[in-house]
Amino acid sequence: MSAEVKLIPLQQAYDDLANRSLSRISCELGRLIYLASTREYNTGNYYHEGLASRFGPEAAQKALEIAHRQAFYRVSAFSLEELVQELERYLESTKEDPQECLRAWQKLEPYRIAVPTDVNVTVARLFTSNLRLALAVLRFRQEPSRSHP
Amino acid sequence: MIGMTGALLAAAALVLLLVAWARSDKALRDLPSGSLEWLSGPQENADISVCPPEFVSQIFSSDDQAYVLGLNSRNLERQFRHERNGVALLWVQQTSAAAQRIIRRHAEASRRSQDIEVMTETRILLQYAQLRAACALLFVGIGLAGAQEVRSIALYTDGLTQRIGQVLREFDAGLRAREMKGAMQ
Repeated sequence: MSAEVKLIPLQQAYDDLANRSLSRISCELGRLIYLASTREYNTGNYYHEGLASRFGPEAAQKALEIAHRQAFYRVSAFSLEELVQELERYLESTKEDPQECLRAWQKLEPYRIAVPTDVNVTVARLFTSNLRLALAVLRFRQEPSRSHP
Repeated sequence: MIGMTGALLAAAALVLLLVAWARSDKALRDLPSGSLEWLSGPQENADISVCPPEFVSQIFSSDDQAYVLGLNSRNLERQFRHERNGVALLWVQQTSAAAQRIIRRHAEASRRSQDIEVMTETRILLQYAQLRAACALLFVGIGLAGAQEVRSIALYTDGLTQRIGQVLREFDAGLRAREMKGAMQ
C-alpha cells in the first residue's frame, strides 16, 4: 500500500521532469549537466522547486536522482565520435563563447561533478576519460593549421 | 647449445613480462586522481561493483581507436592510448577485486554450511583460478599491446565473472533453501 502510494508520485514526478524540463534541452550532455546542477554540493541531495511543490520533496529528489543516473549512463555509452558531436552541440547551445567554454572545460574539468553517486567506478572513469579525449579532439580540430591548410 | 638458447629466450620473455607489468602498473598509478576517488570505495553494492557488459565491450572496442587514427594526430593517438589503457586497467583491477570479494563471501557461507558439494566447490575454485589468471594476463597484455588487442580475453573474463556470480547465486539459494528446510523440521 505505502509503496504504491510512493511509486505513483515518483513516476508522475519523473514524467513531468522528462516532459517539461528535459525535453527542452537539445542534447543529452546538456540534460546531464542540468540534472547534475540540481544536486546540492554540500549534501548531495537533489532539489527542484517546481517539482517538489507539485509532487513532494521526496518524489522530486528520487525522480531527479534516477534521471541523473540514466542520463549519465547514456552519455557514457556514446562512442568517442558521438561524444565529440554531442559536446559540439552542447557548446553551441550555451550562451557563452564556445572557445572560452572549451578552454575552461579542459582546464577546470567541471564535468567531473556530473558523475552521480552510486555508479560503477570504471564507467565513471570511462566518462571522464572520454570527455577529456572529446575536448582534445575539438581543440585539435580548431587548430589554425587545420583550418587553413 | 639448446639449453643456452632456451635460457636466453626464457630470460628475454621474463624481462618482457616485467616491462609490461611495470608499464601497466605505472599507467594505473598515473590515472588522474581527484573527484572520482570517493567513488572507488569498497563498493559493496553488487549492482555497481561489476561493470555492465556493454561498457566492457566499449572500453576494449577498436571503433574509438579507428576514429582517433583517422584524425592523423600523433598527440591524440598517444593521449587516446594512455586514457583507454588506464580505464581498461582500472576495469581489470575492479574485476579482480570483485572476484576476491565474491569468493571471500562464498568461503564464509561454505564454512557455515554442513553439506558441502565437492563438485560445486571444485567448479567454483577452478573458475576463480581461471579468472585470476585471465586478469593477470590482461594486466600484462594491456601494458604490452594495448586495450584493443586484448578485447577477446577481456570479453571472456567478463563472461567468466558473470558465470561465477551465477554459480554462487545458485549456491546461496540452495544453502538458504536447505537452512529453511532444516529449521522447519
